Formats: sequence, C-alpha cells, structure tokens
Amino acid sequence: MQKESKLNAENRQKTSGRGSNKVPIGSADFLAPESLEKALDYRKRYGFEATVIAGGTDIMVDYFERLYEVNSWLDLNKIEELKKIEINDEEIIIGATATHKRIAEHPDLQKYLPMLAHASSEVGAWQIQSRGTIGGNIVTSSPAGDTLAPLLAYDAKVVLQSKGGNRILDMSDFFIGPKENVEESDELLTKIIIPKPSENILSRWKKVGKRKALIISSLTMAILIEIDNDGVIENARACYGAVAPTPIEVKNVGDYLKNQKLKEVDAKKVGEIAVAGISPIDDIRGTEQYRRQVTHDLTVNAIKEMAEEI
Amino acid sequence: MEIKFTINGEERTEQVKPNQRLLDLIRKDLGLLSAKEGCGKGECGACTVIMNGEPVTSCLVLAAQADGAEILTVEGLAEGDKLHPLQEAFIEAGAVQCGFCIPGCIMTAYCLLKTNSLPTRQEIRTALAGNICRCTGYQKIVDAVQLAADKMAAGGEG
Repeated sequence: MQKESKLNAENRQKTSGRGSNKVPIGSADFLAPESLEKALDYRKRYGFEATVIAGGTDIMVDYFERLYEVNSWLDLNKIEELKKIEINDEEIIIGATATHKRIAEHPDLQKYLPMLAHASSEVGAWQIQSRGTIGGNIVTSSPAGDTLAPLLAYDAKVVLQSKGGNRILDMSDFFIGPKENVEESDELLTKIIIPKPSENILSRWKKVGKRKALIISSLTMAILIEIDNDGVIENARACYGAVAPTPIEVKNVGDYLKNQKLKEVDAKKVGEIAVAGISPIDDIRGTEQYRRQVTHDLTVNAIKEMAEEI
Repeated sequence: MEIKFTINGEERTEQVKPNQRLLDLIRKDLGLLSAKEGCGKGECGACTVIMNGEPVTSCLVLAAQADGAEILTVEGLAEGDKLHPLQEAFIEAGAVQCGFCIPGCIMTAYCLLKTNSLPTRQEIRTALAGNICRCTGYQKIVDAVQLAADKMAAGGEG
C-alpha cells in the first residue's frame, strides 16, 4: 500500500475510507430518491438534519476533513425531473441540478442567456463544471457565486417546493446575507424560471479573479440593457457579485439609464452610480477600494462597449 | 450500503459508507493509486477521474454517488502492455517530472481529445486549467497533449 505521513493518515481516518469505522458514521444515511415526491417526503421528515447534496462542489469543501459530522445525505442526482432545461415562448426553465457544463454548452442558453452560459463556463474548471449545479450555486448563496449576478440581471425567479406547495420568489428576495437564504427546512429549490429575453438585448458579463480558473471571484458584473428600435433604453439592470453581503442589483443604474439614448449615455456617471450602490468589504480577494475602482471601470467600459455595438 | 458501478470496464459491487469519498473508494478499497489527493478541496485536480464521460475531482464526490456510474482512471487506459497514445506522448514529450499531477492531467486531456481531436494550445490550456502542476510550467504538458492528438489522428485511435 501507499506510504503516507502520520498526520495525513490520521486525518484520513477521521474523514472517510476504511478507517472511518473509528467514528460513529455507520449510522449515517444516504438517501438518493429517484422522484421529487420522495425527496420532498425526506425533506419534510429530516429537515436540516439531512444535508442536501447535488454536485457537492461546495458542500464537500465545507465539510472537508469533517465529513463524519454529516448524519444524513439527501442526494438529488437520481431525480431526472430536476435536470431538465425547457424553453417555451415566454420562459426558460432550468432544473436545479442542471450542471454548469450543460448550461455553458446549451445552444439555446448561449443564444438567449449568453451571460449565464458564459458565467457557467467560468465556474471553477472543467471538473467543477461537470458536477456543480446551478441550483447548488444559488442555494450556497455566496455573494461571489458566479451565476448569481447574471440570474439577477435576467430577472430570474426560483421555485421552492415542499409537501405543502410551491413558493415562487424573485432571486433578489431569496438571498438575505452571505451564505444565507430564505429556504425553509422542508423546501427544495427545484427550478429557476427566467422570462425569455426580447431580441433587442445587449449584455455584458465580467468576472475578475486572481487567476482565470478555480478562483473565487473578487467581483462579478452582469449588465443587461433592453433597447427599442431607436436605441432608447427601455429597461436596464446592473447586477454585481462580491461587492455586498449578497449578490445585488444596483437599481439606481437601471433608473438612470431608462429612457436615455444608449449612444448618448454618460458612461462615467453610470460608473459613479454603480459605485454608490455597492457596499464591498476588504478581504483576501480584494480591498474595498479595489472593488469600488473595478466596479466603476468595468461598468464604464461595459456601457461604452454596448453603445458601440448598436 | 451497496453500490454497483463500472470501473475501467469492470463491473463492481462494493460496500461503501455514506460519508466515504469516491477518491477513498478508488484508492483504499480498490487499490487503484493513480488518482492522488492533493488538496482534498477540488482545487488541484490531482484526484481527477472520469465519471460518466466527464472529468470530476473525486475528492468532491461521495462514493455512494457513483452508484450506477462508469468510472475511468489511468489504470484503465493501457491495453495490456500497450500504453495509450496520451501516456506515450507524456513520456516522449518529457511532460512528467514528479508525476503527482500527471494521472489527473491525462484524464482531463483524455476527455478533451474525445470531444476535440485536434485542440489548439489555448484550448488545451483552458481544458487543463483545473489541473495544477508545480513542476513543469505546463509547456511540456501542452506539448504532450498535442503530440497525443497527432498520434491518435495518425493511428486512428480514440
């Protein structure tokens, strides 16, 4: 067998593998229902006692070296219904366990929701995109979650399902703090509903991080502008990640842009409004000042680029 | 609990614990040691194996989640004594230094070449972005993947 340092070997025993019978994990459950109905039954019965897992790319990191603390898993991967991606005339409906990889490569999503497809293609790296899911990204509720600013910009809603019925919430009402959301112990996030964007849409997605792959974003930006045939802005949403306790839309940007001709917009002013609407912190991925500067510059550039696009 | 899966073409039935990771199942229970534990947090890619046709970091997958899955590791690439073109190419290009990350790199590259038989250097770099190597500086790894692509195109393999 392989040689391991004593320290590693000890840790490994606590975590998993053959030595794991030293800790009382024999009683742990692994629930892998094949139907949503059954999953909701389990959710009602176990509540937060059962740790919900899909791709596991966040939860397995959270429980790194202490997997023994999990009493029960509720694995959603066998529920085919949750993987569906449907597109009709009005809406795009993405199942919660659609992986980042599938979203990034889906031709219709690339066409209608380019910011989301692009963001999904920049989550972690291939190995993470293979497993990680859009529902997981939302439920983890990190302010830096890569798909979250695009989803806000596309005005997405989430469906929270329980035995008692469904709640449909605006994405912006789902998040309440860093890694905190309003999901109840008997609910599962089952799908994401996005109104199908009109033809006259311009959008810009940007992710800033210390390296191109496998990095938690220092900042993300998703701006969507809807214009009429004369180039007048009918509707705009500027959304940002990692600049506030939750992913946010800076509504003042949308209000300022509305009814202006895109080609005549003062891009610098838009940048200033965006900066005034965020509340970043200093952390390992960037200082507050850095985040304000980058928010400003990315916003200004995005507006200028979009104005040139028409 | 009992799971059934296929690994390197062989159907297996194994007893696993709910909190056991796929990486530990592969290394400790099955004794396949190509996949390594680098970070244990999905950041280094040393534990990359192919699960249902996609590269995954096996430290972030629960063993129980592999029920019904098809798994491929480096041990499953060679046919008898004949190495896979990717393995040959890594040797010929001198892409291996300490070797710790290489099985992971090869599995990701294997997936890349399945979908893109003649990738550009940039495409190779993007595909392998999740496999960290601290020795080579990546140039020779990229060389090796290109060489393998050429070999496979010439040999009609893959």
